[in-house]
Amino acid sequence: MRRVLSIWFPRLPLDRRVRQGDPQTEGPFAIIAESKNAWRLTHVNELALRAGVTAGLSLPDARAICPDLLTEPADQMREAALLSSLQRWSDVLSPWVAPDAPDGLYLDISGCAHLFGGEQTMAEEALARLNDMRIAARIGIADTKGGANALARFSTTQITIAECGKTRHALKSLPIAALQIDTSVVAELASTGIKTIGQLYEIKSNELARRFGLGITHALGTSLGQEPDPIAPASATPIYAARMTVPEPIGLVSDLNAVLERLSMSVCTRLNDDQKGARRFKLTVRCVDTGDHVLKVGFSKPCAATKLVVQQFAHPLDKLEIEFGADWFRLVAEQIEALHPKQTEFGEKPLERESNERLKTTLSNRLGADRVQQFAGHDSHLPECEFGHVEAIDQASEPVWIDAPRKRPLRVYQRPKQLLMLEPGRPPKRFQWRRAVYSVKRAKGPERLTAEWWRDGDKRARDYWIVHTDNGSSLWLLTYPGESPPQWYLAGKFP
Amino acid sequence: MDICTQDFDAISLGNRVYLARARVHEVMGSAADLFAVTVAAHTSGAVVWIGQERDLFALAPTSLQQFIDPSRFILVSGVTRDENLWAMQQALLCGGAACVIAELGDGPDLKTSRRLQLAAEEGGTLGIALISGRAQTSAAQTRWSCEPCAENMWNWRLTKNKSGVLGDWRVSIKGEDRASRIVDLVSAPTA
Repeated sequence: MRRVLSIWFPRLPLDRRVRQGDPQTEGPFAIIAESKNAWRLTHVNELALRAGVTAGLSLPDARAICPDLLTEPADQMREAALLSSLQRWSDVLSPWVAPDAPDGLYLDISGCAHLFGGEQTMAEEALARLNDMRIAARIGIADTKGGANALARFSTTQITIAECGKTRHALKSLPIAALQIDTSVVAELASTGIKTIGQLYEIKSNELARRFGLGITHALGTSLGQEPDPIAPASATPIYAARMTVPEPIGLVSDLNAVLERLSMSVCTRLNDDQKGARRFKLTVRCVDTGDHVLKVGFSKPCAATKLVVQQFAHPLDKLEIEFGADWFRLVAEQIEALHPKQTEFGEKPLERESNERLKTTLSNRLGADRVQQFAGHDSHLPECEFGHVEAIDQASEPVWIDAPRKRPLRVYQRPKQLLMLEPGRPPKRFQWRRAVYSVKRAKGPERLTAEWWRDGDKRARDYWIVHTDNGSSLWLLTYPGESPPQWYLAGKFP
Repeated sequence: MDICTQDFDAISLGNRVYLARARVHEVMGSAADLFAVTVAAHTSGAVVWIGQERDLFALAPTSLQQFIDPSRFILVSGVTRDENLWAMQQALLCGGAACVIAELGDGPDLKTSRRLQLAAEEGGTLGIALISGRAQTSAAQTRWSCEPCAENMWNWRLTKNKSGVLGDWRVSIKGEDRASRIVDLVSAPTA
């Protein structure tokens, strides 16, 4: 028989703040969230409760009742992160865990409870451990998810266990809201005098469905085990991180490197075991006097090699000023991607690619990722749109250049520069650009290009001319046909 | 006549013109970038091109493709001259690049070029400083002056050489094929 344990954390946002050591939580304190066009209290601490404030009050009302009340808005991201770490922690109880967002967990404990000496002791131990972490919890154990959930949230004791096969009996006296159905349905049922789940047992389910919709019969069916409702275990995303505390503050470069090497060895081994690599590594160094310093390095491809991580951190670590030493370190791998070990070819090509990647990584880490770029081909026939630039470190694969069909100048100016006509013609016979005067010896053209109508911007057609000047240089001139008098621009320079 | 003695690890540009690796070379003149591209094409591996964003983003891979595979290029843009110099030093230091090319405007002075030279030696990388303004007394290994002289013809003049003699070459682009020797050193040294 399947057994389900449901843990409910009734004050998760409050507990998060308490664990952080937020001084506000020492007085009357509440978490607020916006609902029904008003800020309302969602979680209230002991002192605030004693002052007469309850969850669900609007913020102005609560302030009127308790003027000392301090509040903070809910931070869903951080609370979700705390729930996910609690999910990782709950591995100690059962391997089959699913989150019940935003503030609960389901554990399938079939065949696990005896390891702890029974369900009661298991639940007690879980509560004791959570208590150590300063997190309040309530536990319900039943044959079904719905049953365990209802018992955790709506029974009067902190631990409620429905014996095997007795879920139906245990749920009998709980209110309808425990079934997790629409509040409108609950209100509708209440208006007909149905307040507890037990009262629903006496009504035929087809009549219930006809009057109150399928939602309620489905909820009742799953809670009583008449309809299947399995736990889909979502594995918590693993965190690849390691930390180290040293008894005495250290500051020598060699010591720091030794710490870094151990940390990265631990992280990289785990990454390698999972066939994963990280694009970014973050090292937090806590100095005894100046607090936390966060160093970051990036990689041009997923990396899980201890040596490379240490190598990339060498430069920023060297730059870090540690006067009185540091005693706490944490290395975390971010942007985890699958590691694709590639079949290396024969010859020098793979070696070259390896050193290329390392060069891009090093340059990007030292200069900034946006400063180090590579060419990327674009699908266009306009000379200035034919190519673009991409950040070198962010490439999923080695960029490949496919040759463009036409010969273009070595420098193509994004904004053509206007020339000063000295002797007009098509193309001009003599012109001035900057301080030099050029006379045209030979010209080739025009190459007429029409604008791309699907792009915004200049829609004029253009004529390009290659002109060879008397001093040997070749220039690329541009004019817009149909203009009078024609203006000439310098669009590029051949080598 | 060898431009560089063979004590150095050097790359050959053809017609017994050698350019020492692990050294910084200065190139001036309006066709300096062609010189840099030619040298880069004679190496294998990544080519780092450093410059002001405005100059750097005008560099067209659609033209480079006839000399060299544009995907070998790593473009580094700096905002100020100091940033470009620093980027050049870092790129030379980290090794792994076949060639580091920097557009510098005015040439580096003695102190700066000495630092670059040391970085090039430490990383074993070939450095090329493209100078569009004035050159200064520097610690560079060689200094070249490149000007076009006729259509598809260029004059490469070696105006300074720390270890070797000076020379003057006439250069033309030979074939369309990237793999073939792209620059033909037509005439022998005249100086």
